[in-house]
Amino acid sequence: MSNELNQAKHVFSRVAEDLVFMFSEEWDEEDRPATEEAFVLARIRFTGPFNGALSLAAPESLCKQVKENMLGARLEEGIGGKYLHDAFGELLNVTCGHLLTALAGDDPVFNLAPPEIVVLDRTGWEKFKSMPGITALLLEDMPVLLHFEQKG
Amino acid sequence: MAYTILIVDDSETARAALAKALSIAQTPVREFYQAADGQAALALLEDKQVDIVFLNLSMPGMNGLDMLNRMKERGLLDTVPVVVVSADGSETRITELAELGIRGHVRKPYTPERLKARVDKLLGAMHEQ
Repeated sequence: MSNELNQAKHVFSRVAEDLVFMFSEEWDEEDRPATEEAFVLARIRFTGPFNGALSLAAPESLCKQVKENMLGARLEEGIGGKYLHDAFGELLNVTCGHLLTALAGDDPVFNLAPPEIVVLDRTGWEKFKSMPGITALLLEDMPVLLHFEQKG
Repeated sequence: MAYTILIVDDSETARAALAKALSIAQTPVREFYQAADGQAALALLEDKQVDIVFLNLSMPGMNGLDMLNRMKERGLLDTVPVVVVSADGSETRITELAELGIRGHVRKPYTPERLKARVDKLLGAMHEQ
């Protein structure tokens, strides 16, 4: 695993603990296969001393838990879509900000674009999971995939 | 005294979480206003008297930096204190923002206690003036 991806995993785990009080562990896919049918992929592009993108994918059901933990309140049943996805995007946004500091130090200035979010079906999830440069972990018993891309 | 607060962030969740953190920190609030981008926030500032603005930087449409520049052009940064709340950890960026006229920076993720300390410091200083 590249240093950047290893850092991404470490930073994501720390941010998830601090922001949404959720704890991560290694994902053994044989022990806990992803049985969900709907997934969310969030991506943030950044520019600065180097350019790239950080992506985060997880079962859609994780978004509700992320939002509830961020707000400290239970959400009504039946709430879905953009309303839940934006909390997932915020988790990625904070992770990306901290990852760039971890990789480049406190001085360089990066500009982060707003998160882009798409819903994936199982085929899309499997395709994303099989991409090179993916790392995976379990967040509160749900699989999460991270991808870091650096250009120039 | 209770304060009128404007929260500018494209994430509805982030706006609600910040309002909740201020509530947990027992910040006296008269009214919360919210805006999802700089353009909407500037329009709101033309109409409403606001005691403090919490501003995210990364937003679609007019982002936080552009909004600060517009506020500077209009002389609003002299009268409306702005605290930037972002995931940005660049000291260079924070220094540039301070030179532009922001009154503080809170890095996400924050605790209600850290937010309260920032608000108390800022509003306390305003009261002493």
